[in-house]
Amino acid sequence: MNGSIHEQAHPGVTTYVIVAAFLTVLTAMEVTVSSVHALKPVMVPVLLILAAAKFALIAMFFMHLKYDTWFLTGVFGFALTIATGLLVSLMLLFLYLSHYLYFTGLLSP
Amino acid sequence: MAAQPKPLPAAAPSYLEGGGILGWLTTVDHKRIAVLYGVSALVFMAIGGLEAMAIRSQLWSPENHLISADFYNQLFTMHGTTMIFLVLMPLELGTFANFMIPLQIGARDVAFPRINALSFWFFIMGGIMLHLGWFWGGLPNDGWFAYANLTERYFSPGYNMDFWIVGILILGFSTLLTGLNFFVTVTSMRAPGMTYMRLPMFQWSIITTTVLILLAFPPLTVGVVFLLMDRFFGMHFYQASYGATPILWQHLFWLFGHPEVYIMALPAFGIISEVLSVFSRKPLFGYPMMAYSMVLIGFLSYGVWGHHMFATGMGPVADSAFAITSMLIAIPTGIKIFNWIATVWGGSLRMTTAFYFAVAMVIEFTIGGLSGVMHASAPVDLQQTDSYFVVAHFHYVLFGGVMFSILAGIYYWWPKITGTMLSERIGKWQFWLTIIGFNGTFFPMHFLGMWGMPRRIYTYGAGLGWTSLNRLETVCAFILGFAFLLLYVNIVASLRRKQVAGADPWDGRSLEWSVPSPPPEYNFARIPEVRARDAHWVRKYGRTGSRGVAMFMAGRTPPVEIEPPAEPIHMPAPSIYPLLLALGVWLMGFGLIIEWWRIIIFGGFTVFSCVIAMGFEYPTFGQPAHELPAAAAGTDLRKTGIWAFLGSECAFFASLISTYVVYKSRSLGAPGAEILELPLTSISTFALLMSSLGMVLALAAIERDDIGWARVWLAMTISLGLVFLGVEAYEFTHFYHEGLAPQTNLFGQSFYTLVGFHGAHVSVGVLWLSTLLAATFVTRVDKSRSLSVELAGLYWHFVDIVWVIIFTLVYLMQQVKGA
Repeated sequence: MNGSIHEQAHPGVTTYVIVAAFLTVLTAMEVTVSSVHALKPVMVPVLLILAAAKFALIAMFFMHLKYDTWFLTGVFGFALTIATGLLVSLMLLFLYLSHYLYFTGLLSP
Repeated sequence: MAAQPKPLPAAAPSYLEGGGILGWLTTVDHKRIAVLYGVSALVFMAIGGLEAMAIRSQLWSPENHLISADFYNQLFTMHGTTMIFLVLMPLELGTFANFMIPLQIGARDVAFPRINALSFWFFIMGGIMLHLGWFWGGLPNDGWFAYANLTERYFSPGYNMDFWIVGILILGFSTLLTGLNFFVTVTSMRAPGMTYMRLPMFQWSIITTTVLILLAFPPLTVGVVFLLMDRFFGMHFYQASYGATPILWQHLFWLFGHPEVYIMALPAFGIISEVLSVFSRKPLFGYPMMAYSMVLIGFLSYGVWGHHMFATGMGPVADSAFAITSMLIAIPTGIKIFNWIATVWGGSLRMTTAFYFAVAMVIEFTIGGLSGVMHASAPVDLQQTDSYFVVAHFHYVLFGGVMFSILAGIYYWWPKITGTMLSERIGKWQFWLTIIGFNGTFFPMHFLGMWGMPRRIYTYGAGLGWTSLNRLETVCAFILGFAFLLLYVNIVASLRRKQVAGADPWDGRSLEWSVPSPPPEYNFARIPEVRARDAHWVRKYGRTGSRGVAMFMAGRTPPVEIEPPAEPIHMPAPSIYPLLLALGVWLMGFGLIIEWWRIIIFGGFTVFSCVIAMGFEYPTFGQPAHELPAAAAGTDLRKTGIWAFLGSECAFFASLISTYVVYKSRSLGAPGAEILELPLTSISTFALLMSSLGMVLALAAIERDDIGWARVWLAMTISLGLVFLGVEAYEFTHFYHEGLAPQTNLFGQSFYTLVGFHGAHVSVGVLWLSTLLAATFVTRVDKSRSLSVELAGLYWHFVDIVWVIIFTLVYLMQQVKGA
């Protein structure tokens, strides 16, 4: 590749180890949240936030999006947005469909 | 054409010369691959056209029995499938985009030439698979949309839909690879100075189309894989008796299907933008708005799939949302139509065949667009759905819009591709017969649809009042068929007559007209430097458009200067492996259909061998010339490619995860999610997370030239990956013995499919990393090769973050009800 290509510096070993430590702590928190009965009411949002944090840490530091060109972040970010939209849309559509079918008696609860 | 330039000496043999048959079979040159696509698609177009005429012959009179009802089903299924997957897309993307992308952006080839060849051979293998039924077992017969649960083994017991499933999967691989390749090419291989706002409009259409491909094909792949599992492995993804819903298929299919409309329409818009501008001798009017509206159409097309499903009872909220998004898409489309009109307005027009087809496209596509806006309204759509009105609508879009653009493109770019001219006289005859045949065939269908004639019916009653219009349509369909026969005659005559075209017969505006016709293998002797939009026009005439028109009218068009290369240009070497690899995949699919495991194993061995051989083949390439232009995005081509691939994988896993979440709560009977064991999976999750640490440490070691530690960390990553896979294998075995087989219930099938696909990705990662580790012992690996480790690492980390989501939604939320 010729010289115009940006060679971005990657983070050092220390940063990688710190990120891994965070990932370990976050995983432990996830397991705890899912196991403690008192946390059931907030379990879903808390677990989603913890998963998002782990996702972001890996993408930014291990996959170097924080250090690479914005273009790669755009490529992945756009795809992720569409994929998330797909996931949420299908869940909402089927949630609605289920309720509609129950309501009309076409599907027994 | 006002001035015929003299033939100019070519700087080197054209890409068409030399190599013999083996040269064509092993080619990785984008231009030769484009020609191979073109020839194949024209053959498939003849088959699809004959199928259409057989359909029209059957509908000539009421109560007709010219062909059987079952064969009629096969014909309309294959007509739709052939025209979409084997004609329109291959002609636009495989031929025009393949040929023109490097030439228009000032590059020497596409980003990944061997993958380009692989895409083509996948296309051929998929096409052959779809057509096997002509000789054995019957053609696919459930419509091009293959609605569940008509496609289940119980309702379609023969091989028919098996051919469709495997054929579509192979064609999907082809299209995905093409999309990825072209996306990287346009975004990262543009010549110096070729900024996004200087790109020819055709390239904007390709960027948008490739993004659509990367994100729209995965849901189709997932849907077809579910269908394959139902038919071959006894699962029940679309069987209501197990709590499943056939509506899931419609969602997955149309999540692909509507963007697919724009995957076909956007390149058509790009072609028309080029043709109208060149033959009006004016710059494209409103260039920025044309580019932005292209992107906006692409973006909106993800949110409109539900308008194909109004009749399924999605409810008023969903119907309203899809109606609004479907109507919104008319705005950017309208911008394009008005800008095309403004481009032609006041231009110095040249009435060529290409221009005729381009103008006709604007008119016919607008008619199709207007009936499309009607479908965006749910109450209106309910009256029109599944009627001939819909057949009229989508033929005005796909024939009047897309096929007319392709015809314009053929007449416009034929001189560049072959170096010879098509006959304008035959072209005009073809045009007028096409106009008569097309409108006579499809416009009356609006009326038939409103009068109640359903689509896909084999025959109709005599007293329904549909006979006259059906007869008119049949007559006009044959006129249309004759018009296409003229195209084939014109092509053959052109190749026999060999009227030399010259480098720039249309006084073109973009860079493809600055090289000889047909171009040399390396395209450009020197990579051009671009200083303005319409780069070739500005180079000829300067920035004043009117001066150029005056010079052209006076016959003083400056000749294209063709120079020999300053030094030998090393292009990518040919390879037989793409052909063999595609053949291996075909054998695996064929073996699956006939349940002959030895063929599957042989096919798998062939694929594996080809992948390994291609790995060893690569170092002999050296640094091919096509990689030399400055990477505009500032990243390595392979890195951009793998990120685009990972983006596509997001849509793939989103489709799988959606299905799991939806089906988890619909599952009938035990066992359910309570069977999952959190402690064990927490340990394997930790192992996978730590493997990611090993991966980045290996990369860091390579970057500081510390091969010893790089080996240690790679070995650790592989080991932890194997630990993860081992736990997964134990878990699967354990669940199976506990009574949860993939066929047990919806939870079982969606769980095994989701987690199994992730496990397959981990396995591929382990193999990849093992190859890298082995390479450190066999060849010299230093920090100059660190990119290889980084690419494998990106894949590995992606597999890791997918597991972060799966672990949360499947294991940690096991007690939470799904949708």
